[in-house]
Amino acid sequence: MDTDTASLTGIQGFAAKVGGAPLALVSELRGMWSVLARTLYYVVRGRRERGAIVEQMFAIGNKSLFFMTVTMGFIGMILVFQSGLQAQKVVPDYQVLGPLYLKMLVRDLAASIGAMPLATRVGAGIAAEIGSMVVTEQIDALRMCAADPIEYLVVPRFVASLIMTAALLIWAAFVAFIAGMITANLVFEVNFHTFMNATMVEPGDVLIGFTKCVAYGAAIPIVSAYCGLRTFGGSEGVGWATTSAVVNSCLAIIVLNFFISAAGYFVFPT
Amino acid sequence: MTRLSQGTSIPPALDESEPPAALAIPQRMGAALLSIAAQVGGIGVLAGQIATRLFPPRIDRYELTRNLYKMGVLSVGIVAATSIFTGAIMVIQAAPMVIRFNVKEIVGWGAGFATLREVGPLLIALMFSGRVGANNTAELGTMVVTEQIDALRALAIDPLSYLILPRIISMIVMIFILTIIGDVVAIGGAVGAAKVLLDVDPRSFMNSLVTLLDPWDFLSGLIKSIGFGTMIALTSCYFGLSVRGGAPGVGRAVNAAVVAAASGIFILDYFSTYLLG
Repeated sequence: MDTDTASLTGIQGFAAKVGGAPLALVSELRGMWSVLARTLYYVVRGRRERGAIVEQMFAIGNKSLFFMTVTMGFIGMILVFQSGLQAQKVVPDYQVLGPLYLKMLVRDLAASIGAMPLATRVGAGIAAEIGSMVVTEQIDALRMCAADPIEYLVVPRFVASLIMTAALLIWAAFVAFIAGMITANLVFEVNFHTFMNATMVEPGDVLIGFTKCVAYGAAIPIVSAYCGLRTFGGSEGVGWATTSAVVNSCLAIIVLNFFISAAGYFVFPT
Repeated sequence: MTRLSQGTSIPPALDESEPPAALAIPQRMGAALLSIAAQVGGIGVLAGQIATRLFPPRIDRYELTRNLYKMGVLSVGIVAATSIFTGAIMVIQAAPMVIRFNVKEIVGWGAGFATLREVGPLLIALMFSGRVGANNTAELGTMVVTEQIDALRALAIDPLSYLILPRIISMIVMIFILTIIGDVVAIGGAVGAAKVLLDVDPRSFMNSLVTLLDPWDFLSGLIKSIGFGTMIALTSCYFGLSVRGGAPGVGRAVNAAVVAAASGIFILDYFSTYLLG
């Protein structure tokens, strides 16, 4: 099919190029949907290998803890610094800086910004691992033993990521809030008590934030496993698979964020 | 200590034996710290070597244009997709506050300030690092593993000025251009979201953006993007060139490069925010 479209010239070649991109997108989405559907099926019906989930939880969660703490600490400081600069123009006092920051953190920022470095780390790890298994034909060996690689490899990572992403993102919100509180105190001289004020956080915000945590926790392993499973072409292919896993997980997070935020805005407008 | 005092004949070698439980954690922390220091130092040395090769500049033109095309032109789609959603999300997030304080006339400024100064350059750099940086590491790593770099040296071609310099220049130039494109697209996304969600007229949106926003806000985002580009270029080239251990080593190097670039971007962002604020 590729050779066909490459040999076309003129208007037909242009049409093939224009049509090829959406077709490729649709086939990618269908592939990811298939991985997701089979994973969900095996989560409910499949056999459980003992310790596999715990092992993955350690690899995904505990090993990302330090990285997440450092990045979210810096992000928290940046966010408060920037919103303080912005607040200077709108409202003269910094009374609302803390409550507003906490509301935004719960509603969106902790989950969506924290999920990016997490996707980079976890997604690259999953894709590299599964990709090198594909290249060294271990996946084919699994299939020959009548074992579905989805059941053995993707399900533990999926469950582990679902739990650990939520835990890490809640930790991320905590770290970002503390870092922001210290920044506000040092730069804008906001009292700790004034800053630590949860009156603006409403149940809707918590629900939206938690929905995002769960959605990202599900999206990262599915997208990365899909990218890992379609690896081809030796060690260079593993590099490509890792790259596309990171890029596609980040894109998935941004797109999911758009849809969940828009839906959240209509359900809980304030 | 206890084993020594009990009179074992051979004291255990430090790096091979299981360390006693009390020392395990400090030892691991020290090892991690040393490896981070080695990586930062290696990146610094690479930066110095590249800087000396800029005078006089002898850049392979074919390599440069090939990399500019591959790294820049082919990334426009993904940068545009990221940016349009980012711009829309900034407005959606601002929407509850806008309604609460009834400040519809400055929503353009609010979204533009956050996007142009901070979120735009940051997210574009992350996507660029994921797409271009990781790919660059994989490519260079494969070249190292298959001994193509040694082959270049055997032909008396300096791999740093032939292979690395064009890549670093293309990454820095292209992230700068991509950030400009991304900023424009993000503003477009924000205008659309403001019209649909808050019923803000695109003209009043642009009006508040243009009158309230300093040109410096836009420029500081671009200056940041140059810093991010340098960071991504140096880390991805360093990790690519220092690949050891065959094909699995390439995978590990790609992973390490992406993680290092991401943490580098966040740390750099923090300091540049302070310096440019």
